Amino acid sequence: MAKLYLKFEQAVLKEVTLAQGMVTVGRLPDNLIQVDNPAVSGHHAKIYWEVDHYSVEDNNSLNGTYVNNQKVSKATLKDGDSILIGKHNITFKDEWHEDQPEQRVPTQVMPAVPQMDATVVLDTKKARELMAQARALKEGGAPPAAAPTGAGPTASGTMPAATPAPPAPPAPPPKERTGMLTVIEGKTDEPRYLLSGKLTVIGKSAMASIKLKGSLFRQPPDVAAIVSKREGKYFVASQDKKANLKLNGADLDRQQELQEGDTIEVFGVKMAFEYHD
Amino acid sequence: MSLTVQVAGKSDLGCIRTNNEDNFGYDTRYGVFVVCDGMGGQAAGEVASKMGVDIILEYFRKAGGETGKYPVEGEPLEGVSERANALASSIRMANRSIFEAASKDAGHAGRGSTVVAAMGQGSFLSIAHVGDSRIYLIRKDSIQQLTNDHSLVMEQVRRGLITQEEAEKSTMQNIIIRALGSEETVEADVDDMMAQPGDILLLASDGLTKHVKDSGLLKLVKGAPTLSQACEALIQAARDDGGDDNITCVLVRVLEQPWYRRWFGKGSPQWQNSI
Repeated sequence: MAKLYLKFEQAVLKEVTLAQGMVTVGRLPDNLIQVDNPAVSGHHAKIYWEVDHYSVEDNNSLNGTYVNNQKVSKATLKDGDSILIGKHNITFKDEWHEDQPEQRVPTQVMPAVPQMDATVVLDTKKARELMAQARALKEGGAPPAAAPTGAGPTASGTMPAATPAPPAPPAPPPKERTGMLTVIEGKTDEPRYLLSGKLTVIGKSAMASIKLKGSLFRQPPDVAAIVSKREGKYFVASQDKKANLKLNGADLDRQQELQEGDTIEVFGVKMAFEYHD
Repeated sequence: MSLTVQVAGKSDLGCIRTNNEDNFGYDTRYGVFVVCDGMGGQAAGEVASKMGVDIILEYFRKAGGETGKYPVEGEPLEGVSERANALASSIRMANRSIFEAASKDAGHAGRGSTVVAAMGQGSFLSIAHVGDSRIYLIRKDSIQQLTNDHSLVMEQVRRGLITQEEAEKSTMQNIIIRALGSEETVEADVDDMMAQPGDILLLASDGLTKHVKDSGLLKLVKGAPTLSQACEALIQAARDDGGDDNITCVLVRVLEQPWYRRWFGKGSPQWQNSI
């Protein structure tokens, strides 16, 4: 089994076991080996399995990738090779052929990428873990998975031990307010309508939740106007010229976001928009 | 006003793959359109995506033909139409079948599929999706992506953890966080909207959308004289850019139907079962 050891000076910062997938190296947090140093490009290089060997390939990085002090764009890796990226060194160890008993060093197995570019699905738990890792990186902390497990309690004892991948709370859904239309004048089936759905239809259609009533001589359109809800905001749009849609008294021929206190007029029915708590 | 649709669909191996794990199908009699992109080795992806298309079409054929009612599977969603709930139910049903089939078959672990589906009734349109296949709406001279990929990188973008540019370069783009058949239950994202005459819906697998940007999709669809030529142009563009995955697209154009066609023969109904 091949391994990569990320070193700075003499200190081993990280050890990665290579699966037959791709390991990316770079400054940005989406790299499997993140090297947070200005000398390293965002996506600096990648190391991957090719038919029967591992290769390293430079991604047109600014400062280049060096294998055993030779600048390379792409090179085959053999046991003991040293890859220089910025000021950091990655040692490649191909231990596959060595018959030594397996060393029980804590290694970080990369999320398996079984085939290059083949789509894979993460189960919900793993997805949450990876999201938590990304969040931790974003917040400037070390990735939770890098925290040594079973490490002794910290001196202070007040900090809860950083267990790897704490169950990420589901993103707190932004509190969504529900809009409401109150009928000011005109004939409808209800005095007020809570806009709880993603799409509220105003018209004569059986699908319409705000039913317009016509007279013997003047029938409202099946779908006169619609109010759609997108990410907590409401938008109104005309669907039929005969509906004569007006927003705050002015003709409306395109979609418009509704603001608290707006009045809309459709086929002679006037309604006021507000948020309902 | 009565609306009708024209439809064309095409699926291509791409330049590298030797098997096609994508699938698609539609039935304009019931106004339903589906694209699935399967995953998992040993032909499991092909099986999953085919099951996805077949089960969803079957759901609407049964509901629309025999019973006239949409059977409910799982918990109905609030705030969306009956149509959107029907799509969600059909997707839950497909999920259960794929999951059960996969769990019986040890060799098929990791089997799953994405799905995008659209259903139109008159000018009412509902869409649903799971995974990283997409639906776009082309209206007049603009294109809008109607779905949000359930992929790890896009989820990170939505939560502000990485930028869009970082996502586009990420090596984790191939990781999706929701799929049909990978877990016992699945929730599809659904949405309701109104169609307008002239609108074109594009349902596509990521083999197309990772190679052709939105502006390219718009130009190619608008520039082609027919929908099937547009499908070919889209696939060719993805192949020209490398085509490292299977490429599938279904195009649906909404049209106003003249009264005489409604009264005197609608032409032959069009449908296409899974491929």
